[in-house]
Amino acid sequence: MEKLDSVKNLDACIKCSACTSQCPVATVQPLFSGPKSVGPDAERFRLEGIDIDPQCLSYCSNCKTCEVTCPSGVKITEIILRAREKASLAGQKSGTTRLQVRDLVLGRAEYLGRLGTIWPGLTNGLLKVSGVRVLMEQTLGISRRAPLPPYQAKFKGIRNNKLVPNHRLSKAVVFFPGCFINYNDSLTGQAVIKVLEHNGYDVIIPNFHCCGVPLQANGKFNEARGNAKKNLALMNPYLQSGVPVITGCTSCGLALKEEYPNLEVSGSELIGRQAYDLFEFLWLLHEEGGLKQDFQEIPVSLGYHAPCHLKAQGIGTPVVRLLRLIPGVRVLDLDTGCCGLSGSYGYKQEKYDIARQIGEPLFRRVQVGVRIGEFQSMATECGGCQVQIEHGSGIATKHPIWVFMQAYGLD
Amino acid sequence: MWDGIIIGGGLAGLLAGIRAAERGKKVLIVSEGVGSLTYSSGVIDLGDVERLMNQKSHPYALLGEKVVRSAAEYFQTLFPDYSGNWREPQFVLTPLGTPRKAGLIPRGLNTQALTETHKIILMALEGMKDFFPEVARSNLLKAYPQAEVVLHPFRVEGFEAWYTLGKSITGMDCGKYWRTASGIETLKGVWKSLDSFEPDKAVVIFPGLTSVFSQLLREVQFNLPFSVIEMTAFPPSAGGHYLYRGLVEKFKALGGELLVGSGVKKVELKGKQCHKIIVNSKGKDSEFSARVFVLATGGIFGGGIEVTLEAAKEMVFGLPPFVPSGWTNSEFLGEQPYARMGVETDNQLRPIDFASKEVLLENVRVIGRMLAHWDPWVEHCGGGVSLASGWFAGEQI
Repeated sequence: MEKLDSVKNLDACIKCSACTSQCPVATVQPLFSGPKSVGPDAERFRLEGIDIDPQCLSYCSNCKTCEVTCPSGVKITEIILRAREKASLAGQKSGTTRLQVRDLVLGRAEYLGRLGTIWPGLTNGLLKVSGVRVLMEQTLGISRRAPLPPYQAKFKGIRNNKLVPNHRLSKAVVFFPGCFINYNDSLTGQAVIKVLEHNGYDVIIPNFHCCGVPLQANGKFNEARGNAKKNLALMNPYLQSGVPVITGCTSCGLALKEEYPNLEVSGSELIGRQAYDLFEFLWLLHEEGGLKQDFQEIPVSLGYHAPCHLKAQGIGTPVVRLLRLIPGVRVLDLDTGCCGLSGSYGYKQEKYDIARQIGEPLFRRVQVGVRIGEFQSMATECGGCQVQIEHGSGIATKHPIWVFMQAYGLD
Repeated sequence: MWDGIIIGGGLAGLLAGIRAAERGKKVLIVSEGVGSLTYSSGVIDLGDVERLMNQKSHPYALLGEKVVRSAAEYFQTLFPDYSGNWREPQFVLTPLGTPRKAGLIPRGLNTQALTETHKIILMALEGMKDFFPEVARSNLLKAYPQAEVVLHPFRVEGFEAWYTLGKSITGMDCGKYWRTASGIETLKGVWKSLDSFEPDKAVVIFPGLTSVFSQLLREVQFNLPFSVIEMTAFPPSAGGHYLYRGLVEKFKALGGELLVGSGVKKVELKGKQCHKIIVNSKGKDSEFSARVFVLATGGIFGGGIEVTLEAAKEMVFGLPPFVPSGWTNSEFLGEQPYARMGVETDNQLRPIDFASKEVLLENVRVIGRMLAHWDPWVEHCGGGVSLASGWFAGEQI
């Protein structure tokens, strides 16, 4: 954002406090004075060189509920993230050395993932040993109670890299799987490919890096931009040939649409327009009459949770529309706020309870829904939300692509 | 292709969406933010319906009595937690403790019991923001001279962190707290602590408590030997917030889709028909087509009309708003002519050119605060106009 723009955007705040009243963190944590106060209010002072309690900035979970809420279009989360970056550049450390190491670890889900997927059985076995989790908490500040998802064999997909970018790629897509699919849920990655292929698409999967969101959330802004540039370089030939980039993770999707266009490298001018959430893409295909509708009837009734970073994309909930095309499927959009995990946020020892409290209304809603027979299980696109909802409610939660696998008879 | 797309997710837009979805229509609501309900108290003002019905060009006159009545009744069928009758005003307490007239009110706010009691216990949660116990007490004494008003300050452990930080407890903090499991347990303790006040002979006023749509709070209050009366609060207010949540939940349960956080950037017209809106999504625009469009963007305050020194502009369709000749009145709290700014419509709520009276867009309906010729502050009919026009549009999709 240009300087002038950002001041204009700051002036758009009418101090109505709607954001703070909807903020999931401020609702459960009085130490956080809320998005209005830490964002636009404190920004006025920061512009004058006065830093007000930079520690408070770390409570923001980057869920972007404030930005979605704001009736005046103020980029509140962006103001907070920028202030965090400024504070970290100014050398204000986010805490002890232990926490700095933690930020390093959590910011690099990718490196952890690479390690974990070398021998997933061993990693998962170790992570189940309570002593290991206690040790991780003591040395790294990663909560022993947080739901670390198990590692699976690394997602290999069908690495159709041989498809050379050219004009004949009209039925090709680039798939950006994201770290969760890459290291924790490769089967869902395979399912995405199968559904796209069933609809006649060649799926290209370059060897992408982490999108950068976890790095940014853990204060590693330069590293996040570094990852973004590497990924853009991998995408660029395809972007130039007009091939869409599809994301299976809503946070990666938001980064591709919102952060990547700000980079000053080739391809950044295209990525915003060519990045699609998986179901956004399938819905557009449906509207053009291109989506295969050879669905088998499947009697399934689902509760749906819209991930915060899907809401922030401003495309609605295309997966709900698509699920309703399948005979026999019933789906209820619960709309009960944030699950609390917010990527790496809920894994932090001092944030675990906050994350748990944030998700509590959602967990209760899920449990009640299942108990009174409104739905049988849960669906949501975000891997983090899946893990957290299962952890908090005990109800099975899966990526919605599995419903399409079943309906297409592909599983 | 949607049956209807509603632009604006406030009271009017959500009610239109609910009614249409209930009639089996596929409806999308696009809203720039959470709408203005969070700023409202959750009380629905209908105003003096019979008088306004006879006021030239007023939305009530445009729609007719049957629509206003049907809308109010429909709202109450949706939300049995709201009581009231469109003809008989009830009274609720302002945040300063004065009674004021209201139309449809959430359970717990009716002040009837105060007119009959000789003792009022005014609960005063320590550290509560925007609540002034002494002011409220003196206003209550004036309004209910037959009663003594006992101020009962109390502290709650659940707010210990606020006290330690020296942070004031907002009405929204309170509204949310009393609904949690620990809040409900604490509340039971608070009621017990009143035993020494002979509460069975009193009426208890409890600012910060918002029991609307909460089954658990209703149960806690059910067996009490005294009446509990809640107060309206300054914005952002829990009462408005829970009404918003209630409307959204209803809309989604009926299969409606709500897209919050993005505005409409452009519309595509063919002659006098709109067929597509273009929404400002992240990265690129999203397009949505529909048979009927409803404009519920909320007037000047909601961003639906932009006013500059020279002109007023409707922001989605570029419709020409009605602009009164003198915009303002130097008396701050007096009637302000600009309040009547809005889009003129025919009695089907289709936008018209105010000179020729010709319909400008055949498949667009204008509802709520966007309508011209009414003033919510002077006429106290903001909720009523939103319900009536919203319900009517919901019938037309």
